Amino acid sequence: MKLYDYILSPSCYKIRLMAAILGIKLDIRPVDFHPGAEHREPELLALNPAGSIPILEDGDLVLTESSAILAYLAAGNAPEWLGTGTPEETARVQQWLSFSHRLTANLGGARLHEMLLRPGNIEILQAQGISALRELEASLFEQQLRGMRFLASNRATIADIACFPYVALAPDGGISLDPYPTIRLWLRAIRSIDGFIEMPGIHRLHELKPDPHPAKEER
Amino acid sequence: MPSDTAGSWTPVALSADLPAATVMPAWTSAGSIALWRSQSGRASASSDRCPHRGMRLSHGFVRGEALSCIYHGWSYSPAGGCVRIPAHPDLVPPETIRVAVQTVEELDGVIWVAAGQPAAQPPRLGDLIPLRSLTAEAGIEEIEAVAGAKANADGLISVADYPWVRLLPTPQGDRTLVHVLIEQSRGIEDRVAASRIAEALRRRVEARQKEAA
Amino acid sequence: MMKAGAMIDEWYPVGLFSRLTETGNKTALMGEPIEVARAQDGSARVTSGNGRKLPVRVRYGHVWSSLGNPVKELFAIPEADQPGRRFVDVGVVRVRCSPLRAVENFLDIAHFPFVHTDILGAEPHTEVENYKVEIREDEDEVWATQVKFYQPQAAKSATGGITTEYMYRVPAPTCSVLYKTCPPRPGEWDVITLFVQPLAEDLCDVWPWMALFDDETPMTDLIHFQQMIFLQDRSILENQIPALLPLDPGMEIPTRADLTSVAYRRWLKRHNYTYGAQLVAQ
Repeated sequence: MKLYDYILSPSCYKIRLMAAILGIKLDIRPVDFHPGAEHREPELLALNPAGSIPILEDGDLVLTESSAILAYLAAGNAPEWLGTGTPEETARVQQWLSFSHRLTANLGGARLHEMLLRPGNIEILQAQGISALRELEASLFEQQLRGMRFLASNRATIADIACFPYVALAPDGGISLDPYPTIRLWLRAIRSIDGFIEMPGIHRLHELKPDPHPAKEER
Repeated sequence: MPSDTAGSWTPVALSADLPAATVMPAWTSAGSIALWRSQSGRASASSDRCPHRGMRLSHGFVRGEALSCIYHGWSYSPAGGCVRIPAHPDLVPPETIRVAVQTVEELDGVIWVAAGQPAAQPPRLGDLIPLRSLTAEAGIEEIEAVAGAKANADGLISVADYPWVRLLPTPQGDRTLVHVLIEQSRGIEDRVAASRIAEALRRRVEARQKEAA
Repeated sequence: MMKAGAMIDEWYPVGLFSRLTETGNKTALMGEPIEVARAQDGSARVTSGNGRKLPVRVRYGHVWSSLGNPVKELFAIPEADQPGRRFVDVGVVRVRCSPLRAVENFLDIAHFPFVHTDILGAEPHTEVENYKVEIREDEDEVWATQVKFYQPQAAKSATGGITTEYMYRVPAPTCSVLYKTCPPRPGEWDVITLFVQPLAEDLCDVWPWMALFDDETPMTDLIHFQQMIFLQDRSILENQIPALLPLDPGMEIPTRADLTSVAYRRWLKRHNYTYGAQLVAQ
């Protein structure tokens, strides 16, 4: 399986993350998104006329849209990541996958503007991003009340993977995560999943490794 | 905010939002703090700034009984002293390398941090329990106006039509941190309702704030 | 623009030469709007907001300009002229921080195990051994030499963990050049630079650039490796308090591992390079 990938793209990272958790080996084909704008060159446009990445190639199958690629990886390797199959869970997964596309536009748009100088109305993008984060905080809180730690169920699904990167990187776009304690706990739960890998901008959870030289005294 | 001539208490966060071995940013009138809980469960409030190169400690990590800075790993005890500098593993850090700490009281599921030395303890919540915290881009006056009541002696605001819900607000500059409290006996559906009532209230408060601006 | 002080007459990167257009790109230098474009004859042209033509140099893949009158030429990097070198335009990243904080972070190695975990450093190999630092009076540059650090994956061309040797150089207030062990060619140095464009005292555009001996690794991989490293630093840079770099002791506590940054701050103060800095008196 070949992934057309940009190291700084949160959408490409969704795929890298899912693959790492599932133990799937990806053949990475780096795309010079910035500064080269390679995703808009003829070779990539031929593969994906939308001019976006990630793109997944698996034999004759070419998939675009990160949500579709996530669904493909889960369906073929670990279907429990799609939910347990109840109508409610299936629908909730879909709902949050749709939500994740809004995050690409608002949180992602703010990040591209602030960090990589892409055009956009930053005030509007940030305001939309804050609204989205508040929706997420409220929903995660209600999930917690019902005994569920993740968006669609008590275990992580592709819905969590789809929403995680842009939320974790919201500060890149000038949007603070300080006001959302429930989101903070959810981010932590995802970062603690076996096989989790970071992307630039998301630090390793050093606390998960014991102190190699424990301090000798308290002062 | 409960205060006397010697100091005041700020309800900075809910206990449930600070699990063991985690750190989060919070705010008191004395400045930003890194609110953290050690492995053994002890909550501490350290100034949110590492004296090495000024990095926010709230971005750091907790191992054992120490809070470490994400930048260079400098570690601090709950008393505020630096206990380790990873670049110099054999060095006992000088006493002068420390962060200011503030007194923490954890009561009824709420974490209170002191500014100064308040004479009294933070207020008790009786049969109320904390539900969740949210931040409104508005002042306490707007919240009181929309809720239909002013904060009482303990700092709690009642919400018109919902006598089993209370708000515990804390001013933070232009915004207000609000802890939503409910009667302990309420079940899950009421808790969901209380969360949504708070969200609706915030929408009205912020719309009001925008109109006034 | 009272704060520019002596920094007004320095050279700053304002764009990538390879990505110039005739329509031009609007940017800024120390609060002043400027425009960077390609002229009809293919050369680079920089104009200030009121149409004044600014001095221009094209060097190290970038367009350089100044709001003042540079007395010195743009600093030299002799390794850039060595045959066989590959040049990598890494691409701009904007950071909400002081341009001086961006440079100082680039000079620091003690953060490798915590910020560039399992790439440039890893616990328990956190110790920073003594190294040499000097302000070379003739060139008027800060130099750190004999810097060593154990790294799990020092470069895209490295096949395993090695103890990397470094030299750091500050030839201009917002530029730094790092020389590091070159795995394919022992005895030579890979050159990695950070050219920082000060947009405001707490906002900058960072232009990393490299001159490497590496015939194997595809260009995009080289770009991505360096972007990855810089992006890992960015969230640190945007969360340091105060935003402006303190040039007087008291606010921040250095240790022996910080000799390069101490020398950098002293050199900045000596030259009145204070755009992006704060002094105790203020």
